[in-house]
Amino acid sequence: MGFSKNLRDFLHGAAYGAYERELRLQAGELNDLFLLLCYMEVVGLPNPATLYLLDVYPYLLEQFHQWHRRMGMDRSPLGTLPCC
Amino acid sequence: MKSLASLLDKRVLFLGGKGGVGKTTCASAMALAASRAGRRVLLVSTDPAHSTADIFEQPIGPEAVPLLPNLHGLEIDGAFEARHYVARVKDQIKDLFGHHILKEANKQIDLAASMPGAEEMALFDRIGALVRGDDPRFDLIVFDTAPTGHTLRLIRMPELMEAWIRALSKSRHAMLGIEQDDKSDPVMISLTDRLEGLREFRAQLLSPRTTAFVLVLVAERLPIEETARAIDQLKEAGVTIGGLVVNRVLPATSPDPFLRSRHQQEQVYLDEIDRRFGAHGKVRVPQLPSDVHGVKTLESIAEMLLTETQKHRNTENSLLKP
Repeated sequence: MGFSKNLRDFLHGAAYGAYERELRLQAGELNDLFLLLCYMEVVGLPNPATLYLLDVYPYLLEQFHQWHRRMGMDRSPLGTLPCC
Repeated sequence: MKSLASLLDKRVLFLGGKGGVGKTTCASAMALAASRAGRRVLLVSTDPAHSTADIFEQPIGPEAVPLLPNLHGLEIDGAFEARHYVARVKDQIKDLFGHHILKEANKQIDLAASMPGAEEMALFDRIGALVRGDDPRFDLIVFDTAPTGHTLRLIRMPELMEAWIRALSKSRHAMLGIEQDDKSDPVMISLTDRLEGLREFRAQLLSPRTTAFVLVLVAERLPIEETARAIDQLKEAGVTIGGLVVNRVLPATSPDPFLRSRHQQEQVYLDEIDRRFGAHGKVRVPQLPSDVHGVKTLESIAEMLLTETQKHRNTENSLLKP
């Protein structure tokens, strides 16, 4: 059991290790796109799905926080989204 | 002339048309007829300027109220639905998050719910639930819709929303790809849920067995043009057209020269309606001597909508043909 897990981790590392940074960067960008799609009306674009996203907002709040930190802004740049 | 009797077997009926042509009257008459045939009917007005209450001479609100045996009425109110929707979401999330996040999230939710369009969406969501058949108390939902343009937009909305939510879940899926499984992500679960609801809404809306759209018009130029456009758009959207109601047809035999002259003008339009909309079942309802009020008048209109051969009115019309 332990051996096969080690082997799997080794192979995983060998295959993805070099690309991991790149993949994470890409995931971050996709994350930003997703946030934008969810929070469109905050930047002034009409969002047809606003109401259907209400229940996912709390889950996204944390991500929004990470996003503005990553973008080099200590505080939330949007008065309407005062996450911190 | 084909009657609309076969439509009473559907589960969802929409009555639409230009403002003021008598949609509410026809919808009420159809609902009444179906309820008399033993089906449990909910008559729903989606027009913000509700007038169902005037016909049944009793107040109707944003929750279903009993009107007659087997017949309930409901006047959908966007603001009410939006408030309800928001309350439901807040209730859903209240046990899932800590105090701090909840406070911020609730602020965000209130803000989003006050955006323009939120009420229309809440209304759409309620209609979706009714079309899907979520309310087990009713076998048939009759929608008395707002004027045509508004309704056609509503009919296209599931498709639009579906595309939107699908794009969102795709984006979310790509994002989760590396670290997390879709099935354990609450955002993905919620999106998938929405998507399934929208798909079901659309499937029921487009099913000829379930849903039919009845267009109401009067024999005048503008309603004819609007009906032609509506037929094109409904066809394009894939919605079944159940038939046409030509409302307020003038009596052919009248001693009054003014009415006779109006009737001759009308006959031109009636011929045009027969020519242009020949493929669809049509029913004519004559102009009544007084306003539609109460159940008695509705009964007589229902009979006209549902009776296969309309002998006396047909002979009347043929009398005047040159």
